[in-house]
Amino acid sequence: MADPRLLTDVELERALRDLGPRYPYPTTPNLASRVRNRIVAQPIARPRRLELWRDPRRLALVAAVLLVLLGAAAVANPATRDAIAHFFHVRGVIVNREASPLPSFSPVTPLDLGRRTTMEDAQSSVSFKIAVPAGLGDPDAVYIASGIPGGEVELAYLPRPGIPLVKQTALGILITEFRGDLVPGFIGKGLGPGTTLQETSVNGDPGWWIAGEPHMIYVDIHGNGQQVTLRMAANTLIWEHAGVTYRIESGLSKADAFGIAAGLP
Amino acid sequence: MEGRPLDDIALVERAKNGDVNAYESLVQHYQELAFRVAYQVTGNAADAEDAAQEAFVNAYYALGRFRSGAPFKPWLCRIVANEARNRRTSAQRRTVLAERALVAQSSGDSAQSPEDAAEANEFRSTLVATVQRLKEDDRLILAYRLFFDLSEAEMAEALNVPKGTVKSRLSRALERLRAALPADIRMPSPAGDSDG
Repeated sequence: MADPRLLTDVELERALRDLGPRYPYPTTPNLASRVRNRIVAQPIARPRRLELWRDPRRLALVAAVLLVLLGAAAVANPATRDAIAHFFHVRGVIVNREASPLPSFSPVTPLDLGRRTTMEDAQSSVSFKIAVPAGLGDPDAVYIASGIPGGEVELAYLPRPGIPLVKQTALGILITEFRGDLVPGFIGKGLGPGTTLQETSVNGDPGWWIAGEPHMIYVDIHGNGQQVTLRMAANTLIWEHAGVTYRIESGLSKADAFGIAAGLP
Repeated sequence: MEGRPLDDIALVERAKNGDVNAYESLVQHYQELAFRVAYQVTGNAADAEDAAQEAFVNAYYALGRFRSGAPFKPWLCRIVANEARNRRTSAQRRTVLAERALVAQSSGDSAQSPEDAAEANEFRSTLVATVQRLKEDDRLILAYRLFFDLSEAEMAEALNVPKGTVKSRLSRALERLRAALPADIRMPSPAGDSDG
């Protein structure tokens, strides 16, 4: 006979299972409404400050990508220079074709859309008329970056039926508007072999439809090269009208993206 | 609880598509679990509440990266435990745990004599006090399995460890619990209920 004072495994497990419902927890607070209020007030994750210099691997990756995007290759190679020059027809955006597949990484830097604000405040902070596509209605959140010449606005739409979630942004649709004529290198794009780039015409203006595999995007959010967003982006329609560059990033088809663009200048 | 994972899958999909009501339903259903998991880590109600709330908000923003059809419960547990760890300081934990070793007095075992009920309560109090003195990893694995009834696969996901190691970790945690119990502890008389 075993020592009657010792608990067997079975007894101990049974005792713990029996304890579970009686464990002295404090009363569970009602979190549901508080969580809901926070999500409604801030539909998009607040960007975390990321100190790149403290992470040498990310810093090296950012540096390597920037080098390519800013056209360093063009200086060395006349053929590449021609190719990059060819890609300059939407002002404010530099597109570069990469010969080899892009490294697949989760966002290198957090999505930083600038400062969240109201539409009225955003309008007073930029030097152009903010256009909202009639078909989509008011955005769920409006962000501005006022540090760059002419200002920049981001209109964020959450996913909803017919507007799928985009993994790269955790949004449904992201529309960017800025003065492409004033900030030539505001956006840089690196496209791997799995991404297609089509020259297109949007409402009669020159543009691109970028689709397929996610591509790399670099945004100099404050216009000083110090705080950049470098991440993978989904299907994008981008064009310029009267000095303003428009960009629609979504998981939508080309036809649907053009449908939204039709409601913009 | 039957069928719950299917409900979760549908609710998660709706939440991924921006349906805040669907996410609120998930929070409603899992807030007790989340709070209790956090409490196992922090040992402090205010920190557990903060951690659980923050975990739900962070989980919402991370839904885009959550694989469709995957179980929501262990994924949430992992986020909650991480949030709770961020809030706990060892000094705080020691103070709080020392303050309370009171077990909810059982009032439901009407089949027991007052003596047996007192004995059962004393046994549980000892068990709680001993569980609270365990290392956090041991406490969490015991709680996941025996208090919150997670399966081995769910525990592996919640603890972010390979599935093959869950059993051995659990048995080591039980071993350490047994070693930490007073030498003279013994099982109380059965309560007369057999709910196993």
